[in-house]
Amino acid sequence: MRVTVKLFGPERQAAGADSVGVDVNDGATCADVRTKLGEAHAGLGESHTRFAVNQSFVTDDHVLSAGDEVALIGLVSGG
Amino acid sequence: MSARVIITEGPLPPQPPQPPQGGAEAADSSTGAVGVVGVVGAVLVFDGIVRRNEDGKPLEALDYTAYEPMAQNQIGAICDELIASLGLTSIVVEHSRGRVPVGACSFRLTITSPHRKEALRACDEFIDRLKQDVPIWKEPVWA
Repeated sequence: MRVTVKLFGPERQAAGADSVGVDVNDGATCADVRTKLGEAHAGLGESHTRFAVNQSFVTDDHVLSAGDEVALIGLVSGG
Repeated sequence: MSARVIITEGPLPPQPPQPPQGGAEAADSSTGAVGVVGVVGAVLVFDGIVRRNEDGKPLEALDYTAYEPMAQNQIGAICDELIASLGLTSIVVEHSRGRVPVGACSFRLTITSPHRKEALRACDEFIDRLKQDVPIWKEPVWA
């Protein structure tokens, strides 16, 4: 299953891209995606980041489905 | 009881919103802040302004980006929680995207409530949550 992870802020700068695609097995969790991200780009696998799936925060044990909208959310700085 | 979220391009207009006036129920035309006249005892407006220095370095502006649909949802959920837990009458949240120069307003929170204590507490709690759970980022543009 191909998962496209949206990137913002410091993570977008680290990767030099708005999104990164990773291949994971069906039934993969966000933790699996985190591992793949860390392998692909130094700085993207860090534990202070959170995943959002379909625009809601989830924990790393969240199981992904095909077509999910996945985003990696690092330290935010609004206001 | 209502919450409204507005994300707009560039700096927010400098005029603070006016408190609700007239009739049994009135909506402020600039922000949509809704209050029931005779129930609202406090209108609190917080403006976040871009400072000229960041970490001791001179700044020209801040560039804001947002994961916009999620930011809207998160802000709405926080507002709903605060309205329910503190008995507020309304919250309007305005936030900039794009470039906001030094001295301009990038964030405005307008809260109405029956009493001031709840409005002041909601302001503090909202901003804490904004800086923790709302996917908006700022990047410095150095002078």
